[in-house]
Parts: sequence; structure tokens; C-alpha cells
Amino acid sequence: MRSVLALMFASLTLCILGPIFAPYDPTTIDIPNRLSPPNNEFWLGTDRFGRDLLSRILHGAKWSLGLAFFISLISLVIGTAIGLLAALGSKWLDWVLMRTTDTFLAFPELVAAIVIAGLLDAGLWSLIFALSITGWMRYARVARGIGLSLMSRGYVVQARLAGLSSVDIARWHYLSALLPSLTVVWTGAFARAILGISSLGFLGFGVQPPAPEWGAMLLSARDYMLAEPLQMLWPALAIFISVLGINLVGDALRDSLAGGRAD
Amino acid sequence: MILTIASLLFRACVVLFGTGLATFALLWNSPGDPAEAIAMARYDALLTEDVIDVVRTQAGLDQGFWRAFFAWGKGVLRLEFGVSSVTGRPVLTDLGTAALYTLPLAMGGLIIGLCLALPLAILAARLPGSFMDRLAIALASIGAAVPEFLLGLLLILLFAVHLDWLPTMGARTPAHAILPALTLALGVAAALTRIIRSGILEGRNQPFMSALQRRGIKPWALGRDHVAPHAAIPVITVFGLELAFLLEGVVVVETIFSRPGLGSFLVKAIVARDFPQVQAAVLLTALVFVVVNGAIDLIYRAVDPRIGDDHA
Repeated sequence: MRSVLALMFASLTLCILGPIFAPYDPTTIDIPNRLSPPNNEFWLGTDRFGRDLLSRILHGAKWSLGLAFFISLISLVIGTAIGLLAALGSKWLDWVLMRTTDTFLAFPELVAAIVIAGLLDAGLWSLIFALSITGWMRYARVARGIGLSLMSRGYVVQARLAGLSSVDIARWHYLSALLPSLTVVWTGAFARAILGISSLGFLGFGVQPPAPEWGAMLLSARDYMLAEPLQMLWPALAIFISVLGINLVGDALRDSLAGGRAD
Repeated sequence: MILTIASLLFRACVVLFGTGLATFALLWNSPGDPAEAIAMARYDALLTEDVIDVVRTQAGLDQGFWRAFFAWGKGVLRLEFGVSSVTGRPVLTDLGTAALYTLPLAMGGLIIGLCLALPLAILAARLPGSFMDRLAIALASIGAAVPEFLLGLLLILLFAVHLDWLPTMGARTPAHAILPALTLALGVAAALTRIIRSGILEGRNQPFMSALQRRGIKPWALGRDHVAPHAAIPVITVFGLELAFLLEGVVVVETIFSRPGLGSFLVKAIVARDFPQVQAAVLLTALVFVVVNGAIDLIYRAVDPRIGDDHA
């Protein structure tokens, strides 16, 4: 759990402090200095409009990391609610909810997100909707599985006999039992959301320019892929490092849970 | 067995119906007047209300939602996907052409990925915790996190720009498929290496292994007859996930390498708001996914006799 807190702290710090440390404004156009290679003035160089790449990447963290964080939390809430409803509700409700989950899982998530975000109005809410509606299924499965196994545990049976309502049982007993496993699922969802946002941005269906989102930066750098490969390399590296870091935290957390050493 | 197949078929139908309905509803509610978008794409700037109305009737957009949906659904059941509302060409022909570009790419990615993952996993599993094992795990972690943008770019820089061995953009020769397939393959290899490695380790720790060993069965025979099938089961299971990864990767990779194929077909169709093309592409994706996942379910039962019929 400590590593997860560190991860959340690091990404939040980057989102908040990144813009403060950025040396230039991320959207100021400076044509004389366009496509400048890295130098003392522009540490990572400038893009096709002369905008400082380092500033754009630092400001972009807000979009790529912050938005991914937000989206992974939305799907966490949707998925956990559906999973718990399925576990605690009637057999019939369980069947309907789980078949719905299967149906959502029966389609590649990113392709679905591309179709949804592409067909809706281009904008932030379409992006958030597209990625949250395609990202909740793993949470639901995990929440339902743990929910069902808890049902016959002594303390839950006791609570039920003592007259605690289903809502209270879900709140006091289920959520605390679910937290570790859901955190592992969350790290995966966070990483996938970063990749999803940048893929959609790269295809032109995500955050729209001039916002310095990393995927949108990749799209604008694509025209110079062969002549100025560094243009594409920086945002791609930023995505890679974020995803790698999150995945490593997730792996460590999974190992410590499997070893029963979770705190 | 018959019950299992029937339940799989029923589920497949539900998925296809749901996907079709969801896509249709999305297109129906997409912003702007679709008739106007189609007319714009077809006739450029010369737009009057009459032209838009003609297009609306031609595309069947003047009826209600459910009517239009069932009219379209009936056509789909007869395998009539209509003509592209932009180019006026039959959708199925164009979709088929696109699929023929994507199929070798995806298969190539899968096969290269398996060829990379298998030796790496076997080497890693020989001695857990050794240098080779850690190297394999590190490579797998990096491979799982590298987005296709970065991998494709690095491969282009190395093999096309620096070494000048391979072509990059387009799909004129089979050689054009090598770099995109490699981009897909490394992602596949990363996931498979981990799964095969842990499959081998788990297979080796089965209680019956030491019994067989004591009976004097040779290590290579043990590996072939007992460890390999054990490690194959999780590989079959993740095949469905790998397929999803490939279908998602294809969209990005085809854009990076400017390759025609299903991914670019879908992206272009969405940008042009070409209803029939989007629907056909989405349904084909769903169909491929459902058929492969159903097949995996059946193969899984055949390979692993421990799974009963009741786990449908």
C-alpha cells in the first residue's frame, strides 16, 4: 500500500508542480524558433509552432496523468457498484449484471473507446465517457468474486443476523475487504487509461489541440517523424515511463498481496 | 457438450446484437446531421436542402430509430451491408480488402511474438531467480509498458533511417509489413513470456512431478508430456486477451506506418461519419472476437479435462 500512496503522491505532484516548473508557456507560438533541436534555451527542443516541448510535457501531465487518474476512479466506482450489486442482489440481478459485463468484455476496450469518442462530439466529456464506460468490467468481476466469498464469512453472517442492512454491510465490511484487490486492479486501469487517452489523442479523437496532451503532441509530431524524430520521442517516452512506473507498483502490490504481507 | 455449445452460441448472439444496437444508437445520436455530413463528403460544397433530403432518404435516415435499426439488421442477416455512404462503393468489398491487409499483420505479430516469448520463457524458467530469469522479467515489464508509438518510432529509426534495411510507410511490398508486425509482436511477446514462464514453474511444482521423476522418467519426456501441456493452458486462456491487444494495436500501428487495413478503415469511416462502414467494421471486430473466444472456450475444455460442462 505504501508504494501505491507514493505513486499517487508522485503523479499528483507532477500534475500540480509540473506547470510551475515549466520554463515557458505551453501554447505560446514562436515561429522563428520552430523545430529547434534541444539546446540551452529549450532543453528538449521546440515543436512545429516553436512551443517549448519540455513545458508542453510538464503541462501535459495534467491531461495525461490527471485525466487518467480521474477516469480510473470513475470506472472504479461504476465497477465496484455493479460487482457488489451482483453479489448482494438477487440471483436474477446477478445473471443480468454478469451477462452485461461479459458483453462489454466481449469487445476490445480501446476499439470501443475509439468508436464512442470518435462518434460523439469531440470534447473532454466524450473522452471521459468513452474510457470510463469501457473500463469498469475488471472491477466488477473482482468485486463480485470477493463479495460472494465474503457472504458466508462469520462476521458478515453475524452482522446480518444483528440486523445490519445490506447497504451498511457493503459499506463497513465489504469495502474494507475489497480495498487491497481493487487497488491492484486500479493500478492496471490507471495505466490503461493513460495509454487510452494518448491513443485517442494520437488518432485525433481525444484531447484537442492546442492542449498539450501527450497523445495529441504525438499526432502533431507525426508529420516530422523521419526528419525530427525527437519531436515524437519525448511524449512517447513520457507515456512509457509513467506506464512502466505504474505497472511496477501494481506488480509489487500484487506480489505482496499474494504473499499475505499486505499492510 | 451440446449444452455448452448452445450456451456459447446464445452468448455470441447476445454480444453481436448488443454491439450492433450500441453502434447504431451511437451513430443515430452522433452530433450534427448525418445526412449533411454524408452529402458534404459526397458532393463537396454544393449543398442545398434538397440535396441533403435526397441523401437522407437514400441512407434511410428519415424513418424512426427502431425502424431504421431493424431495417438495417435485416440487411445484415442477409449479409447486405450496403454501400459506403461516402464513396458509394460496396462496404463488404472494401472491408474485405482492408481485412486482407490486417490479417497477415496480426498473424505475423502473433507468431513472431510467440517465437520470441517461448525460448525466453524456457530459458528464464530453467533457474528461477537467476540472471537470465531476471533479465526476462525485466524485458517483459518494459515490453508491457512500451506504447506502440514509441516502439514503432524506435524500430523505424533503427531499421529504416539508420540502417536503411526496411521500408516504412504504406504497404506496397510484403517487406512493408515487417516493421509493423514486429511492433505488434514485441507487445505480445512481453505478455506471453510472463505467462509461459509462470506456467512452466507451476507445472514443475505439481505434486505428481516428483512421483514421475522417481519412477525414472527422463526430464525431456517429463517436459514434453507434463510440463508443456500444463503451461499451454494459461497461454490458451490469454489468447483472447492477446487478440484484443492485437486488434487495438492494429489501429495505432496502421496509423503510425500509414498502412491500409482494418484499423485505418475504421478511423477513416469514423472521421467521415460513414454509417455503413463503421457498422460493418465494428460488427466484424465483434464477430472475430466472439468466434475466437468461443473457440478458445471449447479448446480449453478439450485440453484441460478438469473443467466440467457446468462451467459454461
